[in-house]
Amino acid sequence: MLKVESLQKTYPGRRGDPPVKAVDSVTFQVKEGELVGLLGPNGAGKTTIVKMICGLIRPDQGQVLINGFNMTSARSSALENISAVLEGNRNLYWRLTVRENLEFFAALKGKNPKTLTSDMEKYIDFFRLEEKINVEARKLSRGMQQKLSIAVAMIANSPILVLDEPTLGLDVQASNEIRVLLKRAVAEEGRTIILTTHDMSVVQDTCERAVIISDGRMIADDKVHNFLELFKAKVYQIRIRGHLTETQRLALLSMNEVAVESESHEGTVLSVRLEDPKILYDVFAVLGQENSFIESIDRQANNLERVFLEILRRSGGGGQETAVI
Amino acid sequence: MAKKLLLFKAFLKKEFILFRRYLVNSIGGMLTIYVIFLLLLGSYRGLVGGGDHGDTVEQLVVGYVLWFFMLSTYQDVAYTLRREAKEGTLEQLYMSVHGFGWVMGAKAAAGFFVNSILVVILLRAVMVVTGSTLNIDLLSIVPITIFTLIGILGIGFTVGGLTLVFKRIESFTQMIQFALVALVAVDPQSVWWVRLLPGSYGASLVRRVMIGGAHLSNLGFWECAFFIVISLGHLGLGYGIYRLCERKAMSEGLLGHY
Ligand SMILES: Nc1ncnc2c1ncn2[C@@H]1O[C@H](COP(=O)(O)OP(=O)(O)O)[C@@H](O)[C@H]1O
Ligand SMILES: [Mg+2]
Repeated sequence: MLKVESLQKTYPGRRGDPPVKAVDSVTFQVKEGELVGLLGPNGAGKTTIVKMICGLIRPDQGQVLINGFNMTSARSSALENISAVLEGNRNLYWRLTVRENLEFFAALKGKNPKTLTSDMEKYIDFFRLEEKINVEARKLSRGMQQKLSIAVAMIANSPILVLDEPTLGLDVQASNEIRVLLKRAVAEEGRTIILTTHDMSVVQDTCERAVIISDGRMIADDKVHNFLELFKAKVYQIRIRGHLTETQRLALLSMNEVAVESESHEGTVLSVRLEDPKILYDVFAVLGQENSFIESIDRQANNLERVFLEILRRSGGGGQETAVI
Repeated sequence: MAKKLLLFKAFLKKEFILFRRYLVNSIGGMLTIYVIFLLLLGSYRGLVGGGDHGDTVEQLVVGYVLWFFMLSTYQDVAYTLRREAKEGTLEQLYMSVHGFGWVMGAKAAAGFFVNSILVVILLRAVMVVTGSTLNIDLLSIVPITIFTLIGILGIGFTVGGLTLVFKRIESFTQMIQFALVALVAVDPQSVWWVRLLPGSYGASLVRRVMIGGAHLSNLGFWECAFFIVISLGHLGLGYGIYRLCERKAMSEGLLGHY
């Protein structure tokens, strides 16, 4: 069980820059055997949260409990229960081979390499590293390196694993392989995993639960299927030629399910959430009054990305900036 | 304690693997060090005009080899900290269950063994080429050298800590290797407070054994005790400075490569 309580971190500004409030009262828990995604755009504060969880950055306020051990006051016991793969590709010694990396980091986590043989075989098999066992890490593909980093984090059998952007910079195939392996690690070994990503598809693919972070604050924490359920209604995008008249605008905006997404010389785009199909008739009626010309009607897929943007919009966090992720 | 031994073994294995795997680099580095010595020797003989000048060649031999040992030890700490911070493995070292102090201790001890081999080879080579005879009394030399190097670890921690916090001080750290030359060369016999500098006291004791033919028992209890206290003091001070830097690095998120 991982408990994060009211974490707060402000970085001092460098060379005259103002201080950066990177994390602001973040509280959540991850239960044993859960796979939770920490989702948020770049700069949201995910890496800072991860490093505070791992005891690599000292929080200004709040605490981290790893299976009950406080990361600050019972550091060494806490560290026995957690391993991490941090952002980027440098969690390994590049000049050591796959096997040597596994052995070295196991010892660093307090395991005797001699009692390791069966675990070694297990993880080499699990991550399909057997052919590369005597290859130096620097000579592996990016995907292989990432698999090795995760294997290295798992070899000491720490119950909790933290992965910062585990699929960043990987090709589609490697990314998919890692998603599958992480799900298996939870299903087959009961590991507790918390991963961060700015990629909605990773969370939708792998996680049961997501904690959404924006500008250092937590803006949502729920089961992924609940997030999808929340906006289960289909969304249609209606593109019309020209502008709306003032009466049309007022009539449309009085309907909760309708939003004007954009309006320009090229035309106007409305989005309509179809909780009740009757709403479409109402919309058509308003458009028909002034003979507005409908250019297209598209159904939008309901995915986590939409949900995410919608949540950000509702929380008042700038939906504009996040549109670039 | 058994677990700390495992940690030490892991580092020892890693150091030896890397030494063997990059043998060409290792030998190349050694050759450079050896050639520099020959150049020094040549210019020295040119200056004093050949012939036998008593102990002075022996002074050069002992001073040079000791400097090399000190430099390697210093780099093992200072450069390791810098490189691992840059490459991202430092954060993994910090997540070790052993605690970072033990991790660096194991790393330094492992480095000592690998460096010792190089030092023995270098010493052999420069003794042969200069035809110098030295008193190789291991029982006296080894403990003195170990405590001399312990003091040098203090410098390594200080510089390593400072590079964590102030990433751009590389040119300053280059100068340390020249400072080490001075520390080996100065003679505590003439100015008493030189003994308080890291490395100097130990270097003079090593010279007394290897060139003067003294034995550890000739040095006397108080001298040895004083020497040990000074060495541990340097380590303590250096590690203390490192811990301060580490505090700052952990609060500003500088253990990684941000
Ligand atoms: N060591 C640091 N010093 C100063 N500012 C930092 C540091 N690390 C991150 N930041 C800033 O804190 C904010 C959050 O960064 P980060 O935690 O890396 O977010 P994420 O991982 O979600 O992209 C960003 O504005 C980033 O520029
Ligand atoms: Mg990040």
